Amino acid sequence: MTAPTTTEPITSYTSAPQPETAGTAGSAGIAGASGLSQGGTPGRPTGDQPRTATRKAQQFDVRKWKQYLTFLALAGPNLALLLVFTYKPLLESFKFSTLQWNIGSPSARFVGLQNYVEFFTSPKTATVMLNTAVFTIATVGGALVLGLALALLLNRKLKGRGIARTVAFAPYVLSGIAVGILWLYIFDPRYGLLGTALGWFGITSPDWYNSSPWALIMVIIVYLWKNLGYVALIYLAGLQAVPQDIYDAASLDGASKSRVLRSITLPLLGPTTFFLTITTLLSSLQSFDLIHAMTQGGPLGSTTTLMYQIYQESFVNGRAGYASAAATVLFLILLVVTVVQLKYVEKKVHY
Amino acid sequence: MPTSAFGKIVDAQVSRRSVLAAMGVGSLAAALAACSGPATGDNLKNNQKTDVDWANVVPAKEITWWSNHPGSSKEIEEGLIAKFTAETGIAVKLVTAGANYDEVAQRFQAASGTDSLPDLVIASDVWWFRYFLNGQIMPLDSVFDYLKADTADFNTTLFNDYEFEGSHYAAPYARSTPLFYYNKDVFKKAGLPDRGPAMWAEFEEWAPKLAAVLPSDGAPLGMGVGTSWSAWWMSNIMWGRGASWSKDWTVTLDTPEAIEAGEWVRALYNDNKFASIGNDTQADFAAGFFGCFLGSTGSLKGILDAANFEVGAAFLPDGPVGPGVPTGGTGLAIPSSRSPEQQLAAAQFLAFLTNAENTAEFSKGTGYMPVRSSAMTGETMTKLYQEIPLYKTAVEQLETKTRTQDWVRVFVPSGDQILTEGIEQIILKNTPAKDAFAAITPRLEQAYKENVEPYL
Repeated sequence: MTAPTTTEPITSYTSAPQPETAGTAGSAGIAGASGLSQGGTPGRPTGDQPRTATRKAQQFDVRKWKQYLTFLALAGPNLALLLVFTYKPLLESFKFSTLQWNIGSPSARFVGLQNYVEFFTSPKTATVMLNTAVFTIATVGGALVLGLALALLLNRKLKGRGIARTVAFAPYVLSGIAVGILWLYIFDPRYGLLGTALGWFGITSPDWYNSSPWALIMVIIVYLWKNLGYVALIYLAGLQAVPQDIYDAASLDGASKSRVLRSITLPLLGPTTFFLTITTLLSSLQSFDLIHAMTQGGPLGSTTTLMYQIYQESFVNGRAGYASAAATVLFLILLVVTVVQLKYVEKKVHY
Repeated sequence: MPTSAFGKIVDAQVSRRSVLAAMGVGSLAAALAACSGPATGDNLKNNQKTDVDWANVVPAKEITWWSNHPGSSKEIEEGLIAKFTAETGIAVKLVTAGANYDEVAQRFQAASGTDSLPDLVIASDVWWFRYFLNGQIMPLDSVFDYLKADTADFNTTLFNDYEFEGSHYAAPYARSTPLFYYNKDVFKKAGLPDRGPAMWAEFEEWAPKLAAVLPSDGAPLGMGVGTSWSAWWMSNIMWGRGASWSKDWTVTLDTPEAIEAGEWVRALYNDNKFASIGNDTQADFAAGFFGCFLGSTGSLKGILDAANFEVGAAFLPDGPVGPGVPTGGTGLAIPSSRSPEQQLAAAQFLAFLTNAENTAEFSKGTGYMPVRSSAMTGETMTKLYQEIPLYKTAVEQLETKTRTQDWVRVFVPSGDQILTEGIEQIILKNTPAKDAFAAITPRLEQAYKENVEPYL
C-alpha cells in the first residue's frame, strides 16, 4: 500500500467542507437552474433582441445546462440513494418518535413529545449517556494514541515491515460479530487465555461478562484491538507525506527525537488527526456489532450505549416510538459534534 | 431561422426537464412506497378473525418457514421437510431466521407490514401473545378442523398455552420445561445419592458437600441469567414459595412471598455461593465447573453429547409450599397476512410436523417433549425411554409438576426482559429483592398499560 493513494481520501474529505468549494458547486447548480427557467420560458419576445446577444445568451444557457446535467448525472444516483435510504428514514424516525407504537403493530397512538419527556426523565438515560461517553472517549482517545504509536513503529525501516503492516491492519477487515465471539473465549474467566495469562502473575481474572465495569472495559479493549489497524494505517500514510527535508533540517539543527515528534511530526499530522477524530468518533458513537456479540448491553445495562439502547427499545422491547425519540437524540448529538469539529477544531489544524 | 434553432432548444429543454421531473417524482414515490409506518388512530383492537372456506382453497406449492432450529435441530427439520415434500409435493424453504427465539421474533416484527414474511414462524412462550396483539398471526382452529389435525390429542397444557378467548394462535412444536441436570461423578464423589434433590432445602444441605469436590472457581449449581431464561426458572422458585410474578394482569412482586423468594435466590448466589453463572452455563457444566445445573429439556441431547461424564436428570426441586414447573419452549404460528393458499399449505405442514410420528422423531433428536399424548406413549418414545431413561423424566415432570405461566411474563410485551433485569439486579448486584422488585414493578405496569390494555 503506498502513501499517496491512502492520503487521497483525507485531502478530499477535509477540503469538501470548506465553504468556498461547497459554495461554488452549489451556486453553479442553482445558477444553471435559474438560467434555464429564464431562457426556456416560451413566448418571451426574443426576436426583438439583437441576434448576437441572443446567441451569446443561448450559448451561455447551454453551457450552464450541460454543467447542470453533468452534475446531476454524477451526483444524482448518489443523492437519490441518500434521499431514499438516509433522509427519508430520518424524517420518518422523527414522525415515529411522536407515537406510542408497539413495533409490528399496524396501528399506533399519537403521544406528542411524551417519548422525549420520558427519555429525559428516565433514570436509565443517565447510565446510557455515561456509558456512551466513556466508551466513545476511551475508544477514540485510545485508538488515536495507540494508532499513532503503532504507525511510528511501522514507519521505521525494518525487515518484514510490509507483513507487520498487513497483520496490524487485518483485524479491521474482520466481521465485528466474529471478533466479538472469538474474544469472548479469550476473556472467559474459567478457561480463557486471558485468565490463564493473568494467572501467571498471580492475578485472578475478573468476571468480565457479569460484573461492571469490567464488561465495558472488555468491550473497549476489543474495540481498540479491532480498529487500531485502521487508525495506524491512516497515520502511516500521513507520516509518509511529511517531507523528508524538514526532518533533515531539524536534524541539522540538532533537534532531539522527542522534539522532532512534538514540533514537526504531530503538527504536520494535524489534518490526519482531524480526519481520524471525526471518523472514529462517528463510528464509536454508532458502534453496535461488538456490543451485540459480546454483552448484548449487559450486565444490567452497563454496556448499553445510546446506539444499543435504540436497538433494544425498538426490537427487543417493541417500543418503536421511544426508540425513535432516542434515535433523534443520537442524531442531534452526532450533528452537534460534527458541526463543532468542522467549525472550531478545523481552524486549528495546520495544512 | 432563429426560431427553429430556438425552438429546438426549447424542445430539448422541455423534454429534459420532464425527464428530470419524472426522475424526481419516481424516486419520491419509490421512497414513499418503500416503507409505510403504522396508521394512527383510536381503533387499536385486534379483531382479526378468519372465516375462510378452506375447502375451496388450493394449497400453495411452496412455503417458507422461519426457524432457529431449537435444540440444534436443523438436520431433523430438513429431514421432516423432505418427508413432507415427498408426501404432498409442497416445497418448504427453511430459513435460519435467528440464533434464538428472541432473534427470530425481532426479525418477524421488523418484517411485518412487508410481503417478505414467512408462512410459518417460531412463536415462543414469551412472544406469541405479542404477535397476537399485533394481529400478526391467525387462529388455527378452523384450518385444523378442516385438515382433521386432531387437536384433542395435543397435550392439553401445551396446546392451551396458545389459547386466547377460545381460539388457538399457535401449535406446540419444540416444547420444554426446565430440568435439573446433575453430574453423577461429582455427586458420587460428594457422597450424595444418585438423584436430584426433592426440595430446595435438601439442595442447600447438599451444596457444601458439592462445593468441597468442585474447582474453586466453580459452584454447586449453575443457573444462568439472560432474557427468555432466568425469569423462566425463577418461576419455579416463586411458585414453590407461594409467590407469583402476577395474578392475571396485576403484578404481585410486593407480596411477602415474592420478596422472600427473591431474597432466597440472592442469598443462594451472594451469601452462600451455592449458585453461579457462566458465559455459557451449559458449557461450563459440561466442562465440570458445576455439580448440577438448570437447563431446558431441549438441551438434553446436546448435554448428553457434550459431557464426558454421566449425566443425571431430575425434576426441579419443590419449594416449601409445593412444586411448580413452568412449561416453555416454542410453538409455530401462521402469519395472518399471507394468502389463504399459503396459509393452508403452511397449516398442512404444521399438522404434519406435529403429528404423533414426527413429534416423537423431533423429541428423540433434541430432548424437547413430544407434544401429543399418543406420541408420549407411542412406540418411538417407549423405546427411547428404555434406551435413555432421562427422556422419561421430562415427560413425567410435564404430567405431574407443571403449571401455566404467569401472564406478566408471557403476555406483556417486554415483560420477560424487565423481569430478567430485576433478577439480574438480585444476582449480579446483590440488590435486596424488595428494592429490585420495587424498581421493576412500575415498568411492568407501564408496559401493560402501553402495549396490552389498549389492544384487548
